[in-house]
Amino acid sequence: MEIQIRTSGSVTILDLNGNLIIGRSEESLREAVKKLIDEERRFLLINLSDVPTIDSSGIGAMIKSFTSVKEANGKLKVMKPSRMARQLLSITGLLSVLETYEDETSAVSSF
Amino acid sequence: MQKPAQLKIVNRFGVTRLLPLGKPVFTIGRKAENDLQLLSDSVSRQHAEIIYEEDAWYLVDIGSKRGTFVNDQRVERYALQHLDHIRIGGDEDQQITFLDDSVERASAIFDSAPRLTLTPPLPGRERVTSANEELQKLARFVEVNQAFKFSMTPDDVLCLIVDAAIEITQAERGFLMLRNAAGDLEFKVARDHNRSWLEGADFAMSRSVVEEAFKQNRSVIINDSSEAAAHFARESIRNLDLRSIACIPLRRFQMTENMDATTILKRDVIGVLYVDSHVIGGTISQTSIRLLESLAFEATKSLESVRLMHEEQEKKQIEQELGMARQVQVALSPTAFKVPDHFEIAAHNIPSRYVGGDFYDFIPLKDDRSAFVLGDVSGKGMAAALLAAMAQGALQAQFTSNLPLAEVVASLNKVLVQRSASNRFITLFCATLDPEGHFTYINAGHNLPILARTTGETETLTTKSVLLGAFDFVEYKPRQTRLAPGDVVVMYTDGVTEAVNADNQMFGDERLEELVKQSVSLSAEEIKLRILDDVLSFTAGLPQGDDITLIVLKVK
Repeated sequence: MEIQIRTSGSVTILDLNGNLIIGRSEESLREAVKKLIDEERRFLLINLSDVPTIDSSGIGAMIKSFTSVKEANGKLKVMKPSRMARQLLSITGLLSVLETYEDETSAVSSF
Repeated sequence: MQKPAQLKIVNRFGVTRLLPLGKPVFTIGRKAENDLQLLSDSVSRQHAEIIYEEDAWYLVDIGSKRGTFVNDQRVERYALQHLDHIRIGGDEDQQITFLDDSVERASAIFDSAPRLTLTPPLPGRERVTSANEELQKLARFVEVNQAFKFSMTPDDVLCLIVDAAIEITQAERGFLMLRNAAGDLEFKVARDHNRSWLEGADFAMSRSVVEEAFKQNRSVIINDSSEAAAHFARESIRNLDLRSIACIPLRRFQMTENMDATTILKRDVIGVLYVDSHVIGGTISQTSIRLLESLAFEATKSLESVRLMHEEQEKKQIEQELGMARQVQVALSPTAFKVPDHFEIAAHNIPSRYVGGDFYDFIPLKDDRSAFVLGDVSGKGMAAALLAAMAQGALQAQFTSNLPLAEVVASLNKVLVQRSASNRFITLFCATLDPEGHFTYINAGHNLPILARTTGETETLTTKSVLLGAFDFVEYKPRQTRLAPGDVVVMYTDGVTEAVNADNQMFGDERLEELVKQSVSLSAEEIKLRILDDVLSFTAGLPQGDDITLIVLKVK
């Protein structure tokens, strides 16, 4: 999985590309988030539009990232989950915790 | 100094290992402390030694029962020659060959950190010869790599393949793309001719050439002058100003005996190897193309063998845990539960090969109420089974001390957040039922149970609560519904709906819901059997990766 990082105002957007599953992809998300927190970036938005599959380790990485951003007094939100990703976030109840948006403009302005 | 030498050992699955002979005495036998351990009964515990004396390696039988053989001749002490075939007792499982590296002149690539050294580019015909040598080196490297199976990842191998492809074709850049689960090509390796990684997730390249190679399963070579250029000219080649391109499909490789290139299943393309160049005169020769195709073959071969070896190792570990995990799981089945008069209950668990973390329980409460618990711990093996046992124990204790449902779930969540590893979660459906039919439930990230009413309506039971073990700040709020006599609730884990058949189709939510709807007039036990029957006939005996657990509750 590839992670591209860009900014929109005070919001840092992580464009994920590839499956968020056990192994390198899950680790790289956690590392990227940790690095951004160290750089004092507090408003993170994860773009899931190019993530076809998420497994339980991927869910773990999202939860871990959410928790570390929250502990740093920041916010982590999600945008444009694919159909499968949305279903998974919904069943696991994460939609009630992870604010999720369908388009970038409203996601960015929500921070 | 000793002459460098090694043993090449090919097992009956065709997996090759290379063992360097680095010590003055190299021991062979059935006991684990030998340098080469052979498990066959016909091998003595301490069978033979290879010793270095007077500039030669000697194979010495140290009083074995079944003898030591070189090229099928029984030997007591024998000076080994390059390519001698060694047999220890009657062990036919391993083909052992002695390699004298001073003959092979290949010791250079047997460094502790394996690395393919490629010679600098040479012009004209010499380049072809050199490329041929490189390929031999590469083939040899792949062999060496198998000895280093645990230190090399498939990615390292792919990277080497791309570097070699760039070298052979004198291209500027090279890419290796593999098909992902969604069936699309994904970049795995992107390198330039200086053997550096190219940055980025996407690269300007000729998509139509890649498509053609991938979809039509054929090599596509485009040189500046070739006619093929016209065929593709309409798009990126011209825009990108690319002069030469080569794109070779990577085909699924099957392990067979005496395997050669013809055993490949041609229809199954798993990715492509792609190189290109802007430079005029970087014409890709027929020889290079053949070499590229061999490389592509090597790529899939090494991918497959590395994958198999990793799988084998994982499987061993899992199987060790399996015995213990099974014991835990048996202990997890619900304790003697006296079913009250106002409902029927039927449950079943089919453990998967790997023992997942499914658990369920029925707990009698005060005032003729009963509690139902169904959970699924993420992950498999011992750790998951232990966490399931822990969770089940905690739930039992709290229900028995008469805490309300919301508190029972919240306190389990707290314990999990504090205690368990960051990647372990539990999805849990948990409910209580009283004799009047009040059904109170919390669904913490679990598959939605199906409530089928005698009226023919169905609904799914959700409280949109987060799975357990994720956040300590979330609340778990129960919902309540009233069950009428004859109403049925089917609780299940994802092993049911995600059961797959040979065509990789899933059983699915809709199918289950429809089945429950049609079965509502049956007894709890009959509904359970009907669902299990349907799942099992759907999967047609295909081993499943996940536990299948099912609970059917029917109000009388």
